[in-house]
Amino acid sequence: MITTVVGSYPKVAEQGYGTGLIGARNKWQRKEWTDAQLERTCQEITRSVIQEEETAGLDLLTDGQIRWEDLVTPIARGLDGFEINGLTRWFDNNVYYRRPILHKAPRRRGPILVDDYRFATRCTRRPVKAVLPGPYTFARVSEDRHYRSERKFVLKLAELLNDEARALAQAGAPVVQFDEPALGLADANVRLALEALREATKGVKAKTAVYVYFGSLDGTLSALMRSSVDLVGVDVVSDPRTLSALKKTKITKELGLACLDARNTKLESVTELHALFDLIKKRVPLDRVTVSPNCGLEFLPHTQALAKLRQLVKAVRSYRPAT
Amino acid sequence: MLLTTSVGSLPKPDYLMKARSQARKGETSASALRELEERATRDWIRFQEEVGMDIIVDGEQYRGDMVAYFAEQLGGFRQSELVRSYGNRYYRKPIIAGPVKRLRPITVEWWRFAQGLTSRPVKGMLTGPYTIMDWSFNEHYPSRRAATLAIAQVVREEARDLERAGAQYIQVDEPAISTRPEEMDLAIEALGVVTKGLRAQTITHICYGDFKTIGPKLHRLPVDQIDLEFANRNFELLRFFKGRRFAKAVGLGVVDVHSHRIEPVDEVIANLKKALKVFKPEQIYVDPDCGLKTRTPEEAQEKLRVVVQAARAVRESLVN
Repeated sequence: MITTVVGSYPKVAEQGYGTGLIGARNKWQRKEWTDAQLERTCQEITRSVIQEEETAGLDLLTDGQIRWEDLVTPIARGLDGFEINGLTRWFDNNVYYRRPILHKAPRRRGPILVDDYRFATRCTRRPVKAVLPGPYTFARVSEDRHYRSERKFVLKLAELLNDEARALAQAGAPVVQFDEPALGLADANVRLALEALREATKGVKAKTAVYVYFGSLDGTLSALMRSSVDLVGVDVVSDPRTLSALKKTKITKELGLACLDARNTKLESVTELHALFDLIKKRVPLDRVTVSPNCGLEFLPHTQALAKLRQLVKAVRSYRPAT
Repeated sequence: MLLTTSVGSLPKPDYLMKARSQARKGETSASALRELEERATRDWIRFQEEVGMDIIVDGEQYRGDMVAYFAEQLGGFRQSELVRSYGNRYYRKPIIAGPVKRLRPITVEWWRFAQGLTSRPVKGMLTGPYTIMDWSFNEHYPSRRAATLAIAQVVREEARDLERAGAQYIQVDEPAISTRPEEMDLAIEALGVVTKGLRAQTITHICYGDFKTIGPKLHRLPVDQIDLEFANRNFELLRFFKGRRFAKAVGLGVVDVHSHRIEPVDEVIANLKKALKVFKPEQIYVDPDCGLKTRTPEEAQEKLRVVVQAARAVRESLVN
């Protein structure tokens, strides 16, 4: 089993790399700081985050998405056609994001995340994965005033995200991951989401992954096993029905076992994680399992986020499957 | 009819913001801070009286986050490090680490202070049990339900004490109520624990709602008045109420609290007239969409003035 995080990591750490980003962003907002000055702060924190992931013993890293306000804004800002609008709740969290509104046909001006990705890889020798919003989630959390057709909007986003995914693979990303929390919504259009995911992953010369978190995957999991990605990441924490579904589904892909609650500070015991591994082992060979928290760690205070990382690594390293 | 009020929080003046940050670092004493909080409260109450607000709020000058404020004074909670709420905003999300207990009345003394400054009614302002649960980490209770119902008991004690002190209006805010449709019934049950047997007019404020899911259950909320944000959705919510007989009073948010723009009085008047096609005049309370604490004091004052002027103009046109 290998260990990874889903994506985000706390941007401030009172007991670690400090809270400098808050002041830096304030100065930048007031135009007292240039983009380059803010970027330097973001780079310092990114370097600290990567170092923490490495020291904790994680196998597959991310850059912690230190520059990201949320999953979609960085991409929406990198495309022509979007306006970033009012505050909206981020799924079922007490966390808010600014809703992108599409006013005209979107266009990708050029690579969006590639420079950030390259910076992250220079901070470590371990593999760093690239993370993008999935096209369906991107559309669901945005407002389409241009196409006024869900299908057209989703598929257009898939095409643009595919360009970015290819560029990230070209930059060396061994894994390109799409986050599709909207697939956990009760009214998700699974068929359209998977069609879009196929478009988004087409020709991407890297391992591709999709992570679905927050909601329930009851009813969606077998469809995901027929999707175009190599790895399906499943949040088994948020809704108990997902684990039941996992027990009943034939797992034909690599499995992302997203199993530590990144939305609650209560720390899972190694024993309970081992019990889960025992259960999963019966469904899929463990060398095809990647273990992680259930979603980005930014929902937690830094101390607890780091504790979860360490517990994750400890549980995986100490696991001896009964034969 | 068309009584005017505010949702709860009002911006803190610069001197108070500074003092709060100094107090956190131990550079200002609690009593010095308290004095400034009282001064700011006095100023806001005087302002509300001057512009002609009918139902007064104390402005919550002594509160930070609406959940953390209660968590800090209840037994069982622990404070966390910073977590981000959106953009560049961070807060300390409370952790439920043991059984939740009310050690002493929390808001009653401030309510008495505020009511002592004005002859108009001052609302008692509480955060609802479901929202306190949803906006905290839970390391103690076995389920979200158990945590919510335990918190409901302590919020109920506080509501009773406010009523005993003389509060005619008690608002129990539940902005988180629409977060998880499958938990809406739990939120309603917990709110019922708080409001049961109260004689004061009870109000709940809900925001950021997914209306498709909460709309059909609004009439079941165990309160007399439901306060909603209409302005930041261009009054589209009115469509939901059209043609239904809604038995509760409605707090009608008529100015957007997330924008710097000051709504022209005429615009608010026009929107109020739209609302009057759906609700009866005596059913409507007029207020901003939400707490104004994220605006500058000047913006908040302008917006409150617009609320009162528009409500007054419409009231006069109804009388004539």
